Amino acid sequence: MTDVDTIVRVEGLVKDFRPGFGLRRKRVLHGISFEVKRGEVFGFIGPNGAGKTTTLKVLMGLIRASAGRAELLGHEVGESSYRRQVGFAPESPYFYEFLTGREILSFYARLCEVAKPRIAARVDEVLAQVGLAGAGDARLRTYSKGMLQRIGIAQALVHDPSVLFLDEPMSGLDPMGRKEIRDLIVRLNREGKTVFMNTHILSDVEMICDRVAIIVAGRIAYEGALEAFEGEPKLYDLTLAGLPADFAEELEATLGTSLGGRGDRVTLRLPEKETNELVQAALARGARVEELMRHREDLEALFLRAVRSQGKEEPS
Amino acid sequence: MTGAVLAIATNTVRDALRNRVLYILVFFSLVMIGTSTALSTLSYVERTRILQDVGFAAIRFFGAAIAIFMGVGLIHREVERRTIYTILSKPVTRAQFMAGKYLGLVATLWLQLAIMMAAFAVVSLASNAELGVGHAIALGLVALELALVVAFATLFSSFATPFLAACYSVGLYLVGHLTRDLRALGASAHSNAVEDVTLWIHRLFPDLSALDRSIEAVHGLAIPPAEIGWAVLMGVAWCLGFLLVAVVVFERRDFR
Repeated sequence: MTDVDTIVRVEGLVKDFRPGFGLRRKRVLHGISFEVKRGEVFGFIGPNGAGKTTTLKVLMGLIRASAGRAELLGHEVGESSYRRQVGFAPESPYFYEFLTGREILSFYARLCEVAKPRIAARVDEVLAQVGLAGAGDARLRTYSKGMLQRIGIAQALVHDPSVLFLDEPMSGLDPMGRKEIRDLIVRLNREGKTVFMNTHILSDVEMICDRVAIIVAGRIAYEGALEAFEGEPKLYDLTLAGLPADFAEELEATLGTSLGGRGDRVTLRLPEKETNELVQAALARGARVEELMRHREDLEALFLRAVRSQGKEEPS
Repeated sequence: MTGAVLAIATNTVRDALRNRVLYILVFFSLVMIGTSTALSTLSYVERTRILQDVGFAAIRFFGAAIAIFMGVGLIHREVERRTIYTILSKPVTRAQFMAGKYLGLVATLWLQLAIMMAAFAVVSLASNAELGVGHAIALGLVALELALVVAFATLFSSFATPFLAACYSVGLYLVGHLTRDLRALGASAHSNAVEDVTLWIHRLFPDLSALDRSIEAVHGLAIPPAEIGWAVLMGVAWCLGFLLVAVVVFERRDFR
């Protein structure tokens, strides 16, 4: 990959905050490093207070790093001109409530120097994209939390950026709304947008993210592709049905265990080689393969392991 | 560049015009300008002078009150409501944001000043009081003074809470109106040390009394163009100075 393919580069990022006047500085980010590549949906996950939002605010130029580097599209994050290519939707966004949805989006479009004749059409487009086509003329004070969340995403999209930063984009949404936003993120990614997503909802990460970074107590505990969660050796969950009794007995003897399952169905977790052999043998003996899928350690398990292992490394 | 400043300024005007306290203060200023007609009847000889004195006082007092009241929350409110997050993540520099907010509030204040000026003119004409170039100059300098008050209120708003920013702004407003008198007092004190101290106070704080030409306007006295030019120069320089410091302070802030 060339440098052009690196959208976000964070190197040894440190952030210290002073909790109050005269109090000692508290380190929130302990020299974190990670990269986001072009075209990825990148999940940035971690428990509360881990430093996710602080990292995002550094990337958005809202707070300054105490040390280390953070680059976005090859620019130092303190610059502002390149932000025409960046969209940011904060968690629980706040807007000028006296404006309508259409007015607030026009305002943000003007900030991003969207051509004046294009603004009205673009606003209609993004309102439709986030499912608020019928609510554009209502004042924001009348919007529900979910609608405000959608307007937050709409303002991040109004200037058609190439990179999107979403802080908890599904928060405040009902299951239907979550699915719609998830689908929207996938669609935007297919259109070529790089998406950086800060979230607590691990199932969403599993469904749409290509790579993740897990941040725990201001340190990156894991960064990599979701495939890397799969352990070695590769394991498969195999469900067989219509197993002849004699074959089942043979199988129990071979595996050295009694088969679990209901009726004539059994489910086994086996390494790749044994799975292939068993499938062939079962088919030859008249059994049916009902289900065969790769066993993956789910993200939640990995997340918990990362949190626990980081906790052990933390100085007491 | 200017598009973003204009968009923020326009939005600031819309936001400010929704504030009911603004209307209450403008209402009371109009009541006071109207009441000047009644007050002027207390004197047989200088009716029109009293009328216009009270009118100018009302415009300057309520103008400054609105400027401080709205200016001290100008930046703080944006940070507190977190509306600043979505704005600064756009291609907008902090200096542009500050400029937009400042210009928007100044435009709002000049709008309410225009309403008060109109009321002042109506009352003056109805009472057969003269209105001349001096009045226009004096009111123009009031407009500049309000812009200056907004500039230092904006500076304080960029780092302090509205309460503290209001305290600082009121203090600076009062000191700004006293520095000239203080300097005159120091000059007649027959002490070099006192003279030096009062001179430096006069230099270090904006001389707001230089922007008050209501007495000359009301009495029909000529205002030397050089003094007008100096007052305008001083006022504009202080505005830019305060805004520059405000931008420097604002640039260093973290929005947690």
